[in-house]
Amino acid sequence: MLYLQVLLNGLALGGLYACIAAGFSLVWGVLNVINIMHGSLIVLGAYLAFFAHQVFGINPFLFAPVAGLVLFAIAYPLQKLVINPVMGRPVLITLTLTFGLNLFLDNLMLKFFQADFRKITFDPPLGVFNLGGLLVPVDRVMATATGLALVGALWLLLRNTQLGRAIIAVRMDSQAAALMGIDVTRTYALAFALGAFMAGAAGALLSGIFPISPVTSSVYLGKAFVICVLGGLGSIPGVLVGGFALGIIESFGTLVLGPELALTLAFLLLIALLMFRPSGLLGRRGFQ
Amino acid sequence: MFSSRIRRAFLASAFSIASLTFAGAYAADTQALRIGAPLPLTGALAPEGTKLRQGYDLWLDLVKEQGGIKVGDKTLPVEMRYYDYQSSTPKAVQLAEKLITDDKVDFLFSPFGSGAAKAASTVAEKNGVPMLASSASSAEVFDQGYKNLFGLYTDNSTLSEPIADLVTGKIPEVKRVAILARNDLYPLSLAHEFEKSATKRNLDVVYFERYAIGTLDHAAALTQLAATRPDWIVITGYINDLILVRKQLADLRVDSRVLTMINGPAYDEWISAAGKLSENVTTASWFHPILSYQSDDVFGSTARFVELFHKKYGSYPDFTQASGAAVGVILQQAIERAASTDRDAVRAELKKGGFKTFFAPVSFGSNGMADSYVPPVYQIQDGKVQVVYPADIATSDFRSGIGH
Repeated sequence: MLYLQVLLNGLALGGLYACIAAGFSLVWGVLNVINIMHGSLIVLGAYLAFFAHQVFGINPFLFAPVAGLVLFAIAYPLQKLVINPVMGRPVLITLTLTFGLNLFLDNLMLKFFQADFRKITFDPPLGVFNLGGLLVPVDRVMATATGLALVGALWLLLRNTQLGRAIIAVRMDSQAAALMGIDVTRTYALAFALGAFMAGAAGALLSGIFPISPVTSSVYLGKAFVICVLGGLGSIPGVLVGGFALGIIESFGTLVLGPELALTLAFLLLIALLMFRPSGLLGRRGFQ
Repeated sequence: MFSSRIRRAFLASAFSIASLTFAGAYAADTQALRIGAPLPLTGALAPEGTKLRQGYDLWLDLVKEQGGIKVGDKTLPVEMRYYDYQSSTPKAVQLAEKLITDDKVDFLFSPFGSGAAKAASTVAEKNGVPMLASSASSAEVFDQGYKNLFGLYTDNSTLSEPIADLVTGKIPEVKRVAILARNDLYPLSLAHEFEKSATKRNLDVVYFERYAIGTLDHAAALTQLAATRPDWIVITGYINDLILVRKQLADLRVDSRVLTMINGPAYDEWISAAGKLSENVTTASWFHPILSYQSDDVFGSTARFVELFHKKYGSYPDFTQASGAAVGVILQQAIERAASTDRDAVRAELKKGGFKTFFAPVSFGSNGMADSYVPPVYQIQDGKVQVVYPADIATSDFRSGIGH
C-alpha cells in the first residue's frame, strides 16, 4: 500500500513536471535558446491566475489558457524585438540575454508583488479522491489533467497544422525552411511565444497547488532543465516521459534514501543518462 | 611686490577659512553618534535585509524626533551607515571592517542570520567595537568567548523546551514524535533541539528526516512520516515550505494530536495562505505583535511599536522587523545609562543588562546571548494568533488535534 501511494504521488507530480517543461523544451529545441526566463514566466502566469482568483473568483485551472494567451501576447514582440537580433549567435549570447531578461522580470515582480509567499486557497476545499485507501488530491488531478491536455494540444498543433510543420521544418534546418518559403523570423517568434504560452498556463495550474513568490522561479527552471535533458530536447513525448520519470524517481528516492537525497538520486541518473544516451530518452540525435 | 603681498594675504585667509571650516566639520562629525549596519539588501536574503532596515529606520525616526540620544547633559544626533553586502558573508565581513576603520563607527549592528553574525563578530572583537546581533539564534555563534558580541535572540532550545513542556503537560498520551526539517542551518539546528527536548521527556522520536532546500513536493516524505503514526508532528522550515507541507499533510489525511511548525505560522502571510488548515497549529517566535510588554524605551510598549510600524509601513511587524528596532533601543538605553559613548562604558552597561524593551525584557548571559525571556508559544485558533504559553501572558488555552 505504501509503495502504491508513493507511486501515485510520483505520477501526480510527474504530470505537473511535464507541464512545467513543455514550453522550455520547445524553445530550446526549435530556437536553440536556453530560455533562463522560463521559470519567471511560470511565476508570472501563477500571479495572473492568483489575482484572477482573488478579484474575480476564477478557478486557476480554467484560467490556465487565458494566462497562457497573455504571456503569448507579451512573448511574441519580446522575441521579435529583443531576442531575434541575436538568433544564430553562440548559445552563450542568448543564454546571457535571457538571463538578463530573467533578472529584469524577477525584480519587476518583486517590486509589484513583493517577496511574500501567497497561495490560492479553495473555499470549500477541493478534497481528495480516496481510491481504496490510496489518496490523490483533487487539485493535483485537475492540474495534471489540464496540463496534459495542453501538452497534447501542443503536440497536435506541431504535427497537424501548417504552423506546426513550419516550426518542425525550422527546427530541422532553418536555411532549407527559408528556401521553402517559410518566414523563419516569424516562426522563431511564434515558437518562443508558444513556449511562453505553455509557461503561463503551467504557472496558472501550479498556483492552485504551490505557494507563489518571485523567488521560486529558479526552482521551476531547474526542474525544466532536468526534464528536458532526461526526456530529450524538442520532443513532446520526451517531455512527458522525462516529467513522469523525474516525479517517480524523486518519490521512490525519498522512500529509499530519505527526502534529502532524493534529488541527488535524480541527478545521478541524469549524469548516467548523459554518459550513455546524451540525446535523452526520446530525443533525436542532433538536438542534444 | 604688492601683488605677492595680496597673494600671501589671500592664501593665509583662505587657509584660515578652510581650517575653520574643517575644524567645524570635524567637531560636528565627532558630535554625531555613528552606528554601522552591513545589510543584505540585494541577493537571496534581500527580503530579510529590507525588513531589518525597516526596524532600524523606525527606531531612528523616533530618536531623531527626540533630537538624538541623551549622553550625560548632551543630546547627540545619531547617524546610521548602511552597506549592502549582497547576501555574501565574506562581503559582510569586509564591510564590517570598512565601517570600523574607514567610517569610524562607534558601534555595530550585525549582518543577518547566525552565520554572517559569527563571521563579522571576529572583526568587531579585534577592534573592540560592541556589536549587537539582531538575528542570531544558534549557540555556536556565541561560543568564541568574545566580549563585544551581544545577541537579542535566546538560544534555539528556548523555542523547543516550552512547546515540549506544554505538549507533555496537557496531553500525557503523546508518546511518538515525528520531525521533518529543512536541511538549512537554523531549521536543522531547531529540529535537533526538538529531538533533544522530546528524548529528554522519554518521548519516542519515530521519524527524523531532512528535506532539501527548494523541495517542491513533500508527498513521499509525508507518506512515510504518516506510516510511523506520530502523536506529535514537528516541521521546521520557512514560510513557503510550511504552507506546502500543511497542505500536503491535509491531502494525505495525516493526523496527530499536535502539529508544530516553525518559522512562520504566527504571521498573517502564512495564516492567509494556509486558510482553515492553519487551525490549531502551534509555533513559537521571539516576537509577535500580540505581545503586551510595557517598556522603558522610545516606544513605551509593544502596542505603540506595532502602531507606529503600521503607520509607517502599512503592515504589521514580524520578528525580523521588530529585532531591528529592538537592537536600536537596547543600544540607546546602554549609552544613556553609561552617559558616555565610550565603548568600554557602553559594553559594561550592555553586560549589566536589565533592558525593559517593547520586544521583551533583555539581559545577556555570560556568552553574550540573551537569556532573560522565554519566547512565547502561539497557536492559531479560529484564524487568530493566541499566546498559549507562558501562563502569565497567555491569551487562550492550548487546544489539541489538527483538522483537514
